[in-house]
Amino acid sequence: MTLTAQENRRAGAPQRARPPRRSLRLDRFGLPSLLLAPLLAVVVGVVGYPIVRTIWLSFHEGEYLISGPFNGLDNYTALFADPYFVAALIRTTLFAVVCVCCTLLISLAVALVLDVGSWLTRIVTVIVLLPWAMPRVASGIVWKWIFNDQYGIANWLLVSLGFDQFQGYAWFNSGFSSLVAITIAVVWHSVPFIAISMLAGLRATRGEVLEAARVDGANFMQLLLRIRLPMMKPLLTILGVMSTIFAYQSFDHFLVMTTPPGGPSHSTEVLSLLTWLQAFTVLDQGAAAAMAVVTFVLLAGITAVYVRLSKEDK
Amino acid sequence: MTKRVLLYAAMLGIVVVSLFPFFWMVVTSLKPDADIFTKTPEFLPTSPIFDRYLHLFDGPVPRQFLNSVLVAGATTLITGVIALLAGYALARYKIPLRRYLLIVILSIQMLPQTVLVIPLFVVLRNTDLLGTYQGLILSHLALTVGLATYMLRSFYLDIPVELEESAMVDGASRLKAVRLVVFPLVWPGLAASSIYGFITSWNELMFSATYMQQSERETLPVALQQYFSSYYSDWGGVMAASVIFTIPVVVFFLLVQKRLMQGMVAGAVKG
Repeated sequence: MTLTAQENRRAGAPQRARPPRRSLRLDRFGLPSLLLAPLLAVVVGVVGYPIVRTIWLSFHEGEYLISGPFNGLDNYTALFADPYFVAALIRTTLFAVVCVCCTLLISLAVALVLDVGSWLTRIVTVIVLLPWAMPRVASGIVWKWIFNDQYGIANWLLVSLGFDQFQGYAWFNSGFSSLVAITIAVVWHSVPFIAISMLAGLRATRGEVLEAARVDGANFMQLLLRIRLPMMKPLLTILGVMSTIFAYQSFDHFLVMTTPPGGPSHSTEVLSLLTWLQAFTVLDQGAAAAMAVVTFVLLAGITAVYVRLSKEDK
Repeated sequence: MTKRVLLYAAMLGIVVVSLFPFFWMVVTSLKPDADIFTKTPEFLPTSPIFDRYLHLFDGPVPRQFLNSVLVAGATTLITGVIALLAGYALARYKIPLRRYLLIVILSIQMLPQTVLVIPLFVVLRNTDLLGTYQGLILSHLALTVGLATYMLRSFYLDIPVELEESAMVDGASRLKAVRLVVFPLVWPGLAASSIYGFITSWNELMFSATYMQQSERETLPVALQQYFSSYYSDWGGVMAASVIFTIPVVVFFLLVQKRLMQGMVAGAVKG
């Protein structure tokens, strides 16, 4: 006879040395609240309050980082009239789309390789996750060196492969090529976590259904596209949301790899960097708060769309 | 047979791409300038030099390293304690709104940091915590506690309730049962969640660059970013500093990688 935890608890209760009533109540209500109190303090104090405050700030003047009078939607209308902001909004979105596509596809490929069992899988999995731990400032510096115009290994490799136009090619002289280099650095950083999660998802799809289909003669691609990926849909949705949000949030790589930050001539400004510069270099916290709110709303909207899409197809 | 060869080739490719930036950072930091600035790259340092590392010890780097250790260490410790307590409550008690609380703590890590950075600056300025270790630690907690708690909860859930129950049947109080039975089983999970906090705090740039502007309390990411933007061509020196900056997180990561992967994936898969 096996008892579930619930039944066990019931069965065990009478034999338990009965604690006095008061401590029972403490156990049931007091203790959990006590245990949760520090977490709630942090969540409310350092996360909840700042969100509310940012929204509040976005409706007020805030030059020199001092809160001014209420100014309605002025910060927002000014933002959307600002060509640099609109350009950054579009640029960030394109950058995120490219990052997410590359991240998901590469992660899937890596996960599929790791899914095939081998005595090396364990150690390769650890190596795959290693870039996730590397400080973004350090990896930004290394990637900038790899893409150095005269001595960078990227140009050397491209030239050795026969692309002679990359001889001394200055990646960071134009917005587009800077973004290409930054995308590679960011994708290198975000693939590990997504790939390892996908690997866990792929492993969870192994079972009777997959075996049955294999016995029926389905090939690798059929198994993947018809059975495994559809089974992983909820996970893929979440990973899509995560990588989108991480791409929109990219900050460190942009601050480290572009000179001046967001340059040359504003051509690599993305939302997070622009918001930060607006707040702490231009010292206009009203406009910066409005940018942060726009980012926040945009990401919440994207998340909602992903969730809706994954539910509709079911 | 060809399949095996293809598999190993793919694995080799993955390993090379994953490790190359680490390798290149170390190699560049060990090469004399003459070997760094070459048209055809030298993949191994033929005459490695350690001067740059010795030179780093004379500068402000040890101090900055210590600042980072202090901030990341305290963040780790506090994150661990908070997650240890809250994770237990969320795993073992039927708390009203538990589902929503779990969603909230999981979505914290999705929040754009720019939403937090401005009001936290104002709060820290008003409480005179701007440029202090406490202020930066407080801001880092916002980034770490959510996922760490969620991870630790999933480790608690892996421990059968029956273990605690039977200890309590035998007369132990809940606290004693937790201390003697649960804690010895959950501590690897605690280590993983705390080290998640360490890595997040150690690597964090936006809050650090905003709140730590006095040079004597600067942490490594801020110092490195500033040094890099002003001494652009000192590639060897910057690489040596990057190596020093990277070593602690890599070591910690390797110590707990198994549980860390398990916990982080649990956050994505079950969330």
